[in-house]
Amino acid sequence: MKKKKMSLTTKRSITGYVFILPWLAGFLIFYLRSLIMTANFSLSEITVAVGGGYDSKFVGLQNYLYAFRAHGSFKQVLTTSVGNMLIDVPLITFFSLLMAMLLNKKFKGRTLVRAIFFLPVIMNSAAITAAIDMSRQMLAGGLSASSAEMAGAASGVNVMYYVEMFSSLGLPSGVLDYIVAAVARINDIISASGVQIIIFIAALQSIPGSMYEVAKIEGATAYETFWKVTFPMVMPHIITNVVYTVVDNFANSEIVEMAYDTAFTEVNYGLSSAMSLVSTAIVCVILVIVCGFIQKRTFYYN
Amino acid sequence: MKKIRFFKPKQKKLNRSMAGNTLLFVLMAICGVFMALPIVMIVNNALKPLDELFQFPPKIFVRNPTLENFSDLFVVMSDSWVPFSRYIMNTIIITGLGTVGHVLLASLAAYPLAKHNFPGKNILFSMVVLSMMFSWTVTQIPTYMIVSWLHINNNYLALILPAWQFGMGLYLMKQFMEQLPDSLMESARLDGATEFKIFWKIVMPNVKPAWLTLAIFQFQQMWANTGSMYLRDEQLKPLQFALQQIVGGGTARAGASAAVTFIIAAIPIIFFLVCQSNVIETMTTSGMKD
Repeated sequence: MKKKKMSLTTKRSITGYVFILPWLAGFLIFYLRSLIMTANFSLSEITVAVGGGYDSKFVGLQNYLYAFRAHGSFKQVLTTSVGNMLIDVPLITFFSLLMAMLLNKKFKGRTLVRAIFFLPVIMNSAAITAAIDMSRQMLAGGLSASSAEMAGAASGVNVMYYVEMFSSLGLPSGVLDYIVAAVARINDIISASGVQIIIFIAALQSIPGSMYEVAKIEGATAYETFWKVTFPMVMPHIITNVVYTVVDNFANSEIVEMAYDTAFTEVNYGLSSAMSLVSTAIVCVILVIVCGFIQKRTFYYN
Repeated sequence: MKKIRFFKPKQKKLNRSMAGNTLLFVLMAICGVFMALPIVMIVNNALKPLDELFQFPPKIFVRNPTLENFSDLFVVMSDSWVPFSRYIMNTIIITGLGTVGHVLLASLAAYPLAKHNFPGKNILFSMVVLSMMFSWTVTQIPTYMIVSWLHINNNYLALILPAWQFGMGLYLMKQFMEQLPDSLMESARLDGATEFKIFWKIVMPNVKPAWLTLAIFQFQQMWANTGSMYLRDEQLKPLQFALQQIVGGGTARAGASAAVTFIIAAIPIIFFLVCQSNVIETMTTSGMKD
């Protein structure tokens, strides 16, 4: 048979393809195709045809040019979305790592506490949001509204006073802006980090216990153990989480919302595709830079 | 507690870490309370009798808990045009197949991406990452067109098949499999295990935390799917759709919809609890000597 003539590497790569095949087939059909279609749409003018279907007319880069030159708010929304993302991603990553380390400790009712931290992910689903909105409407400003008020009252500390104090201390305004923005979105950060916490918990659990044992025997302090054992071992998953956070953040950002509105309320599908492609490209560039930066410092177990 | 401390030689150090732990737990508790608020509200609302639901200003905690809302819900359910068990079965099929299929296919594909070398691997992987960038809101129309091109419109498959190919699962599984020591697979290969056997008996048990995590995400996504875009026949629609219809009933069904909200939230939470309590520390390097 042919089998004997194949080298080990070809044989291995064939096994690889076989394993990937079922996934790849669907991926090509559903995702690659829709990607290509979107790219195609972005270069054409789409009109809904009489009697169903659509007509497309090739217009070249006109949609892109319109988005950048003539559209009222595209550029502005794009910059804010990207800016917000750059603030949120590091915060979410570190917050979730911290939380995962706490939740990975052994204590009674650990699973329950983990579930509480996963709640925002569950609550974010459209159904629950709709239901909560509904009950909020019924109550004419029910609990959720009143708790928001309470939070507002509690954080009624004069923030500007502190901001001015720090800036007069000579803290660079960029850093200060970042801190202010970070504090302002604590709630968003907590509620956006449910999935990341779970990924980090899984990551922490796959660190072999013998590593900690060795560290303990060698007399490492908790601080040293974190930086020398835990941190390098979860490093690959920091990338995972950064990627997830970027994707998640981007999916809920204003720019995507804008593209969605353009498609479904203004029925300008070509422009919407162009917008989403531009923003996707920008996010990809950011992701490549960030991941490249982390990857260099990543330690792989093998 | 005291007994253990008494026998430990380094009493001082232990105390210090205890103080640190207490501080961290306080921090965690504060964050936790914030996150738990909505669920407290949902549970209490579900138990409130009608007059308390409409009370103004609203109270967080229920005074006279009843199960009235649930019995209301059953009345609404038994009135429905399609028997309610049908919705439940639809959900089990869609969510079950969607979750299991996705976890399986993503892990299968992730294994060679993480542990084998073959031409085209990097291109494939960057394509996966790229596909994650595309928010579903934007690709909704192309996806719809593909679904109708495949003639699986108005079929369970319209929801299940696209769900199998989410990029995130593959990405997650690949990251975790990459961390497994190569020698683990090497030794199995020397013992004559086929690649599939290595995958099933060695890789999968060792990345159990990862695939349980993935199952949680996927379940959550599939559960929240109403399928209203693809499924036209009432007999095919999932439970989520039926429940949301009840919530949409407005003020007249306030009690029933409070109960519905509780159910919609409770099921993913239960699934989460079951999965998480099954995650035990894996011993990736047990039996390794390097």
